[in-house]
Amino acid sequence: MKINTTTPATNPESIYYQRCTVNLSTGKMEFAEVPCRNLEDVLGGFGRSFQDLARRKIENAYCDENPLIVNTGLLTGSTAMTGLRTYFSGYSPIKGSKKGLPAAMWSTGSGKFGAKFKWTGLDELIFENRSDKPVYAVIKETESGPVVELKPADRLVGLGTHDKIMELQKEYPDAHFAAIGQAGENWQNNYMGAVALSTENQLKSKEDKCRFAGRGGMGSLMGYKNLLALVAQSTDKMAKPSELVKAANLNVIKGGGSARIQPISRGGGGGTWAAYDVLQEFHAVPVNNFRPQGNAIPEKLFRENVEKTHDVKIEACYRCGITCHNNIYEREADGSRGEFLAKFDYEPLNLLGTNIGIHEAGQAARLIQLGDNYGMDAISLGVTISYAMAYNERHPEAPILNGVNFGDYEKARELIIAAGEGRCPEIGKGSMRLSEETGETDYAYHVKGLEIAAYQPESNPGYAWAIAGGHMSMGTYGLLTREGKSDIDSWVQGITEDKLHIVGFDMIGLCKFFDIAKGIGTQMVVDCLKSEFDFEITAEEIRAAVRRAFLRGMALEFRQGYSKDEFRIPAEVYKNPNPNVKLPNITSPEFLTKLEERVWEIFEPELEGLLD
Amino acid sequence: MQVRVKLVGVFKIDRFRQEMCDYPEGITVMEVARQLGLSEKILGIALINGVHSGFDSILQDGDDLTLMPILEGG
Repeated sequence: MKINTTTPATNPESIYYQRCTVNLSTGKMEFAEVPCRNLEDVLGGFGRSFQDLARRKIENAYCDENPLIVNTGLLTGSTAMTGLRTYFSGYSPIKGSKKGLPAAMWSTGSGKFGAKFKWTGLDELIFENRSDKPVYAVIKETESGPVVELKPADRLVGLGTHDKIMELQKEYPDAHFAAIGQAGENWQNNYMGAVALSTENQLKSKEDKCRFAGRGGMGSLMGYKNLLALVAQSTDKMAKPSELVKAANLNVIKGGGSARIQPISRGGGGGTWAAYDVLQEFHAVPVNNFRPQGNAIPEKLFRENVEKTHDVKIEACYRCGITCHNNIYEREADGSRGEFLAKFDYEPLNLLGTNIGIHEAGQAARLIQLGDNYGMDAISLGVTISYAMAYNERHPEAPILNGVNFGDYEKARELIIAAGEGRCPEIGKGSMRLSEETGETDYAYHVKGLEIAAYQPESNPGYAWAIAGGHMSMGTYGLLTREGKSDIDSWVQGITEDKLHIVGFDMIGLCKFFDIAKGIGTQMVVDCLKSEFDFEITAEEIRAAVRRAFLRGMALEFRQGYSKDEFRIPAEVYKNPNPNVKLPNITSPEFLTKLEERVWEIFEPELEGLLD
Repeated sequence: MQVRVKLVGVFKIDRFRQEMCDYPEGITVMEVARQLGLSEKILGIALINGVHSGFDSILQDGDDLTLMPILEGG
């Protein structure tokens, strides 16, 4: 970024970001210093990319006019803790309206690729068109500025995410990597391809410990473009944090904002996995395609039970003191630590474990690992498999696919492999399309074509207004369970104001665990921006930019053909309420109708003119 | 007075899962949590007789109190 002002909210045009546009069909590169249009552009991430996507009318995700935008946030690669995010944006192959138009989408992940990318001097890389041969892109820091090169990627074809990264590391030992797996390569039949991002731990240990930008099929879009990987080659530029940033970083760790996901040994809650224990208290852990049974079955994947058979190692992202990774290893007969299996986060663990009837930790870990290595979004993958299982439970006489049933590890494994290899489009294209083929859409757990996360929709009608990943772009998933709010006013306030601010993290380059409850409109972020860029900016100005970006995303959904009827949670929830969920009912047709009326009253007038 | 206390998740470690406890009249949820040595930073949810309550709520004889860590993120 070239910054010629200290007031980014009022003088954004005095700030320039460095963009490279690569035409994959011709190999032509164009570098430009682009003036920011507004504070959203300055912050970056989807705040910027969605403005560019809005300028294009795209009717099919797999067309040459659909760009893949790779960018960072303002604090990516900075001294602010968690500043590691890379964003991938484009029109999504998997998320789309009933009219058949693809939705704009972004996906993000940590790992060290984002920081290395930023340190090349580039802020944004746009891939136009598609290459006729498999290629990877090398983004290099040079004395005269960033350089981008396209290289033949034949040797990477057919490799999984981790193997591609290991192969590239041999040639670029000082770099970090973003890579798709076979799922993205098989984009015609797999719309849920993820992008894997390399980590320091992975490159040192050679274990498959990538991070993922999983949601929305950005890996499939990358595969369509015949772009198999990105290499970011730069020297590390992590400065010593200033006193202001040190205080903010200390507050991230000690202030309580991230306490619940810190290790138990440090007095924390033990990572996102701990959601199992809390949600089980309400019988709200998704079981067998989001139908909790009111029994103790989810407890089999409680940490205390997994630790009886497996080793759990606590690890962290690069220079992050939150230390939220719970990495699961086999335990050898002599009690020593064996092979690394997978990172246990709540979402993949539930959706490729309990929610498909798999209750044995080793099996769940193997399925997570398999999906990661093929490069698929664990949420979309798990939910589409659970849909197939639910269908087969209802139709034992005429099952679909391989006849997979809840708890059938081998058949679930077969489906993951087949989907990853492009041999099972029924799974690879997601639950919306599969349910439309079967004609039974009520129990397909997606909203607007994107599979929902592992929070029961009975506890989160806010899913309907999420603009990207279900819970990570509408933070209402704890409003009932955690805060006990079951009245309309609280839900309207949550959806239209407080909880939409979660998307601010998808602009600025920080992980949500920096302060998931408060968002980025905080003094901590103001202090980091002052220290890093000498910005005079207020928390209110940041919040206003986040709100505009969120609403722009919603306006873009309508532009891509969504009707208000599509802003709905899965019909089974209100047509056939689950009596086992021990929470106040906030998903009755009456409640939902009232909620919709009130939410649209607020949102609709604000959507006017946002895409002009 | 007697209150049945149930602890969830990490709060169970080195404590108990469920126990009948004696407390003086007028005790609040937060005071119970402090007596049990629960971390206030991760104390997220309190249920009294299955219903969400504030941490300053006063307990009554015979209440069921459930204390849970905070739920956020995933």
